[in-house]
Amino acid sequence: MNDPDQTDADRYPLLTERGRAMLRHLREHPAAPLYRRTSGNRLNARDLEQVRAFEADVAAHTPAWQPGTTPAWMEDFVTHCLADVPHYRRYQMPGTNLHTLPTVSRADLSRDITAFVPDGLPIDRLINFRTSGTTGHPLLIGSHPTVAAGYLSFHRRALRHYGIELTAGAGEVAVVLAGFQRRCFTYVSVTPQMSEAGLAKINLHPDDWRDPADRARYLDAMNPEMYTGDPVAFAELASLPLTARPRALLSTSMTLLPGLRAQLEARFRCPVIDVYSMNEAGPVAFAADGVWHLLQHRLFVEILDPDGNPAPPGTVGEVTLTGGFNPWLPLLRYRTGDFAAMAWHDDQPRLTDLTGRAPVRFRTASGEWLNNIEVTHALQRHALAQWTLHQAADGTLTFSCAGQPDLTTLRPALEELFGPAAALAIHTSAAFDGKVRQYTSDLDDSGQSRA
Amino acid sequence: MTTEGPPLELLLRRLAETPPDFLPAARGTVHTAAVVNDLLRLHGAREADGRLTDLISCEDGNRLRLVLVLSWLLSDEALTSLQLPPAEILGAVLGPSAELAPYVAAQQAVENPERREEVARAALGALALRPLGESESFARDRFTTLSTAERTRVLAASRAAEERARAIREALAKKAADESADKWSRE
Repeated sequence: MNDPDQTDADRYPLLTERGRAMLRHLREHPAAPLYRRTSGNRLNARDLEQVRAFEADVAAHTPAWQPGTTPAWMEDFVTHCLADVPHYRRYQMPGTNLHTLPTVSRADLSRDITAFVPDGLPIDRLINFRTSGTTGHPLLIGSHPTVAAGYLSFHRRALRHYGIELTAGAGEVAVVLAGFQRRCFTYVSVTPQMSEAGLAKINLHPDDWRDPADRARYLDAMNPEMYTGDPVAFAELASLPLTARPRALLSTSMTLLPGLRAQLEARFRCPVIDVYSMNEAGPVAFAADGVWHLLQHRLFVEILDPDGNPAPPGTVGEVTLTGGFNPWLPLLRYRTGDFAAMAWHDDQPRLTDLTGRAPVRFRTASGEWLNNIEVTHALQRHALAQWTLHQAADGTLTFSCAGQPDLTTLRPALEELFGPAAALAIHTSAAFDGKVRQYTSDLDDSGQSRA
Repeated sequence: MTTEGPPLELLLRRLAETPPDFLPAARGTVHTAAVVNDLLRLHGAREADGRLTDLISCEDGNRLRLVLVLSWLLSDEALTSLQLPPAEILGAVLGPSAELAPYVAAQQAVENPERREEVARAALGALALRPLGESESFARDRFTTLSTAERTRVLAASRAAEERARAIREALAKKAADESADKWSRE
């Protein structure tokens, strides 16, 4: 439900006539979907100034530090956390050496998010980011309109790597955020830092449209400069008879397999950029040249082993974050529940072997144990948007996926991995509803204890 | 609290035996600054300390009575024999009396055993002394436990933290917070 007390003046404080015209264009096009919500950038003139300065700062800096060191901003940041943030203040640890401080988990944030908001920060203009949480820890995170607007700075950095500078401006649609779920929040807005170019968050599910054919009509008419979404939404987008060409697709939320990525790039003839992003920290890294490039120059990434000690470069461990660009949630050794290894290119740290969640092991027919990353590798050539694999206590494997995969190649790929004698059932469905836990096992619970 | 001072029991007994003259019912019956000046002379002062004028203009009757109680306490031979600088003695009168005045009635500082101990430890602490036979950490912990000012401060801080957490929860729960997140991508 929308708040009846909120007006467009609250949602878009800087709205001009051209912005108003853009909102009308997005909402009132004859093929427009049913927009279920209202939203707004909430940026005032001072915020916009701040957002522009932030954008320049992001463009001017590259995340960099040497192995075994921390960036120059770290000491002041840790001092701020220990002095001003109620949760961290309880540590009562002498000194500000990062490596001696405890880690925090999603469960800590879920238990009491208010303890992570620094004292003295104004809270009258808080906004929230919600996650339902496939890990059992739903989160409601405090944030601010300038933080939401800051996402674009990191997208621009990733796009720049691919040689793309966004140019959308007045009268044009800059971005469409595409979803494909039975139900999701949809709305329109404008982006003041791009001369009020349009933003639409849409649901490609046919139930959100008067006529399913309106989807292509509407998106061609809006002709967004880029799309963001998850692999499931992009698989659906690729099935539409679109003629307009976006300049880039930016994929978040779920694993994007190389097979689907290649298919999308061929279909839209533009780069498809995989972004590792989370509500707690925003966009962390993007994939290019087989590695993950870090995006935030004030976000320090550690890779920790199960005992909480830093893992050597090249060794997979839990991605742990310090810093960030949301002052209302300063992260101090936040264990993300995602796993990767660190590699260096000169003084630039990069992530490799990134997988969401703790690794889960699967048993093959011959009794050998495989890490879930090997399953992901085996699926690389398949254009799957979303899938799950579960191993029951008796060793039976159940593979479920959305869409209509080519079973003549999928089954052999899995049998090659688990052995022809493995008990393997493959189910397909039109779509999963939202994010799911990809790998689960009743035989091996090592990956589920932290979730 | 780096140096051992006199035994705590001795100071507690002295406080319990505070003469009624040091607890005047009304202001003006005793010249507080003169009493403190006498105390400083006992500790070897040769001239009046300028800070005494603050006491002459002080309007807080309870603080002035606490000044008298502390003057009585600090004139014990166990302390005068230590030959501490008079300026420090004055600090041990002015500091604790100002800190305790909002929370501790002078009468209680004499009659209530816990408040007696709080006053004695506050005076010793102001002189960087700890009771004979106590370790530094024990003396510090015991004073923190007894300290009315500390307890009041902790309670106030805890109330403020609860209030802040409630305000944050309310701000996050507002519909406006819920419908304003123009991020260019979702997680």
